[in-house]
Amino acid sequence: MLLEVENLHVHYGRLAALRGISLAVAEGEIACIVGPNGAGKSTTLLAISSILAPSQGTIIFDGASIGGTPAENVAALGISQVPEGRHIFTSLSVDENLQVGAATRKDKARIRADYDRVLELFPILGERRRQSAGKLSGGEQQMLAIGRALMSNPRFLTIDEPSLGLAPKVVDQVYEVLIDLRKSRGLTLLLVEQSSERALNAADRLYVLRNGEIQLEGKTADLQDGKAVHKAYFGFTHEHDEDEVEF
Amino acid sequence: MAYAFQVIIDALSLGSFYALAALGIGLLFGVLKLINFAHGDFITIGAYAMIIPSAATQATLFIGDFHPLILVPSIVGIVVVIALIAEFAVFRPLRDASPATLMIGSFALGFILQNLTIMIYGGRPKAVGIWSELNYGIQLAEGVQVPALQLIIIGTTLILMTLLVLFLTRTKHGIHMRAAAEDFRMARMLGVKANRVIMLAVATSGMLAAAVSMLFVVQTGILDFRMGVSLMLFAFIATVIGGMGSLVGAVVGGFTVGAVSILLQTFLPSEMRVFRDVFVFAIVIVILVVRPQGLVVSRAAKERV
Repeated sequence: MLLEVENLHVHYGRLAALRGISLAVAEGEIACIVGPNGAGKSTTLLAISSILAPSQGTIIFDGASIGGTPAENVAALGISQVPEGRHIFTSLSVDENLQVGAATRKDKARIRADYDRVLELFPILGERRRQSAGKLSGGEQQMLAIGRALMSNPRFLTIDEPSLGLAPKVVDQVYEVLIDLRKSRGLTLLLVEQSSERALNAADRLYVLRNGEIQLEGKTADLQDGKAVHKAYFGFTHEHDEDEVEF
Repeated sequence: MAYAFQVIIDALSLGSFYALAALGIGLLFGVLKLINFAHGDFITIGAYAMIIPSAATQATLFIGDFHPLILVPSIVGIVVVIALIAEFAVFRPLRDASPATLMIGSFALGFILQNLTIMIYGGRPKAVGIWSELNYGIQLAEGVQVPALQLIIIGTTLILMTLLVLFLTRTKHGIHMRAAAEDFRMARMLGVKANRVIMLAVATSGMLAAAVSMLFVVQTGILDFRMGVSLMLFAFIATVIGGMGSLVGAVVGGFTVGAVSILLQTFLPSEMRVFRDVFVFAIVIVILVVRPQGLVVSRAAKERV
């Protein structure tokens, strides 16, 4: 397993956001955490990036514990994140945003190669490279956020709600890119989605998170029974609409 | 005509001090969310470092007597070292504290620096003559004569601002600093080294303070342990009316405060000139009522939905 999270607890003050979750992602896999608002999905990703300190539990990446490692050093280990809200630097140009994405690296030639590849992946970013990133549309900002995360040449990429606020066509495009990245570079992905059939289709492994606890987990191939996922997600099922469960 | 020109030059040179000091404050506010009230005392220390410690009211030059090629780097070095000591001893231990706590920390640091200055150099203002030969007039046009020193102050400020812009936009560390100023957490998540960026900002801020020290002493010829405090006050006001968090705003604010002060100085009836600052601050209040976000809105503060 590339990433192993064991019994992770995170508190905001006295409020428990995560109550002992465990999850694992194998190298080259796409894993997905789904769950309702406030389930602790973003908290999980922020803990993995060492932005939030766990109150208990371990996070092991590539065999080494990353507990207590400063966030900037976690990035250097090869963990990259597209956080909730994207957080692109709006006062910087598109190019400068991508440049910050390569903050952990020194090899100019390889940075340049990755830069070219990101522009190949998202040609629109090339057209707007000198523009202020704050002027991009929502979809373009999402592409920039993903492109920026790729500039560190990560082994492991976490993305918080890749489809939030995007037109369905753009979402398709984003997922295409993500699936392609896994195929072409062996990139390991951990996605967070509030609810998305697309995530379920793209992922190899699914975790349903609610109230800071994992309610259900498994290979997506084994989870085709929508009813179980639905029950884990909402905590109950409706007798009459069993057939219309949607993800 | 010549008079109007003189007023403009006065406004620009006073504005230069405020703009440089405001930039020093703005840089730290960007990455640390700290309003560093000790910035004025960094300026004071840079000025006092030029003389030999004594209780005399007429100062004897020490570093101030050196060749400019040694003098300038020495003063810059001393102020930067003081600023970095402040970072390690005060700001870094308070890293996770609230902005209010940090600000009070900077106040405390300011008091310590002021009282150290009094301990070493005495509390009385001192006259200091340095580079007084720069106080000759330059004939710019028929009947228009301005002191060379003021042109040097304005020129130095423009050069420093250009260098700062080049650093912030053309170098890797400068871009990282701007990214960190906008969204520190995100910058760290991408691998930008937090402490390194902050140290760079502190050092840059110290360099700007040192520049103000030297220019200010040469112009006024007076050393006072409170000299930085009033500069800091006006520079702080400049950052606020310019728009907190925007470096362009700091510069605009600095020149605005400078221009308003000089215009009031020029056009107020002579018996009211002693109350000039009252009018300056009244105008500041009006500006803040009309534009509470500041003259220049920082793009970092304006979130796109």
